[in-house]
Amino acid sequence: MTLKEAVSRFVKNGDNVGIGGFVNLRQPVATVHEMVRQGFKDLTLSFQSAAMAPELLAGAMMVRPDHCSIKRIELAYWGHEAYGLSPAWRYLAERGMIEFEDWSNYNMSARFKAGAMGLPFIPTRGPLGGDIKNTSRTKVIDCPFTGRPIALLPASNPNVGLIHVQAADMYGNCIIRGTDATCAEIAMASAHTIVTCEQLLSHEVITSNPKDIMIPFPAVDAVIQVPYGAYPGACRRHYYFNGEHIREFLALIAPMVKGGSSDALKAWYDENIFGVENFDDYIEKFSTKKLLADQAAESYHCERLA
Amino acid sequence: MTVSTDYTAQEIIVVAGAKILENNKIVFVGTGLPMVASLLAKLTHAPGLIPVFEAGAMGPPLKHGLPISVGDSKTGTGASYMKGLNAAFELTQRGFADFGFIGGAEVDMYGNLNSTMMGDYPDGYQKPKVRLPGSGGASDMAASCERTILIVPHDKKKFNEKLSYITSPGHLDGTPGARYKAGMQGKGPYRLITTKGIFDFEEKTKRMRILHTFPGETIESIQAATGFELLVAPDVTQFAPPTVEEVRLIREEVDPNGVFVKRAAK
Repeated sequence: MTLKEAVSRFVKNGDNVGIGGFVNLRQPVATVHEMVRQGFKDLTLSFQSAAMAPELLAGAMMVRPDHCSIKRIELAYWGHEAYGLSPAWRYLAERGMIEFEDWSNYNMSARFKAGAMGLPFIPTRGPLGGDIKNTSRTKVIDCPFTGRPIALLPASNPNVGLIHVQAADMYGNCIIRGTDATCAEIAMASAHTIVTCEQLLSHEVITSNPKDIMIPFPAVDAVIQVPYGAYPGACRRHYYFNGEHIREFLALIAPMVKGGSSDALKAWYDENIFGVENFDDYIEKFSTKKLLADQAAESYHCERLA
Repeated sequence: MTVSTDYTAQEIIVVAGAKILENNKIVFVGTGLPMVASLLAKLTHAPGLIPVFEAGAMGPPLKHGLPISVGDSKTGTGASYMKGLNAAFELTQRGFADFGFIGGAEVDMYGNLNSTMMGDYPDGYQKPKVRLPGSGGASDMAASCERTILIVPHDKKKFNEKLSYITSPGHLDGTPGARYKAGMQGKGPYRLITTKGIFDFEEKTKRMRILHTFPGETIESIQAATGFELLVAPDVTQFAPPTVEEVRLIREEVDPNGVFVKRAAK
């Protein structure tokens, strides 16, 4: 199955989409490019901390709202850490263009975990004390066992989960290196899961140590090998962040927060997403020198034999 | 130690943050300046400091330098334990984090922090004046770490009696046992570091109290830049300016690319 086929088969208008990775680490960028190319309306996005994935979907909504739109976001954090705030988040929220429900990283991770466990809710201490419990569906109850207040959070079960991993087999068994983020929980909780991977390996190699399997095959509906599938974000053992490109992309959106023109952003989408067949064509636009440098930086940080 | 005469407001925050951290303690580190301060602490008086990053890594030596994200590969290399977000927050909720180290855009006198929105709350929640990134893991750290260290740039508009939104709860309304009654654990905000000084929260009232002034600041100048009445510790002292060596470490070893510590002159 190609990524184009997987997106067309498993994503629908109005879906709640669970986004894997963490900020700009292992974001499902290739899958989001394909979603933007095909165009989906009234999406709900669910994630703990995300960056390029929602930024690309929101940017598409800012230039072609007839083609791509987000209705609602359930999140802990949308921003780019060292690379700055999210201009698209500011644009959409400050104009009242989307609904949202604020949670924390643990709240969202626990909500996916409840979904993954097949349970309707999960108790945590996270939202107690502050306003998150007042602006979300949190229920604070007195614990029936200790009598102390505890927060109950509704499970999150996205219609489709988007996950990028280092390695998988054709059945969907996945190996994740570096942080697991909340990918296994999202995959297990979602009705469908699309996995993109850097390396597609044989079933025998992938399952040689069964405890390495973070996401088991029954949770996965489609597996597509997409090298650089999280780029310009990072993927452990494969490539480090292309911060320059992230900053350049954000700089195209930023002027629109203050009412500036959408021309430059539109041109970016025309050139990099609408004007290409697939994600490989987008990656081809980067210089080999830069791709190699980002690989080299990552192998230095990992400090291990290839 | 030679005192530096050329350091920025962010650099003194980083030095102050590093000094507050204790060797061999577990610190749950938020993104930005807390990461810089934790790395400086490891390179100076606290080599045994055990950072936890919410994306999952615990105890990395950070030999490859400053992570630019709490999910950066540099946090994974040499870590003694690494799973995902649930595992990191579960160990915090279980009570294993001695410190949580977080930032915010707005703070009140009880150390409650806002990193969600500026504007009318609750009516304007869905259409804020300024939308901030959101809690991330800060509210979880605030609810469960043993003590929290806060960083907020000092600005009268950001030090308010009432916050637009309480993202990360501190001492709540300051009443005795407020945190426990709300269901939280840990002692709450321990220190606040700003661009003007270091503050604690007075034992009985839980109100923000000036502990140390940064060079060039006085109790009066700090009060004048604060939107509520500050308490003043009985023995306020001036925080020593960073040494030449500390500034060199920040600029050449900790954050040589100016990822979080900007080079703008003070």
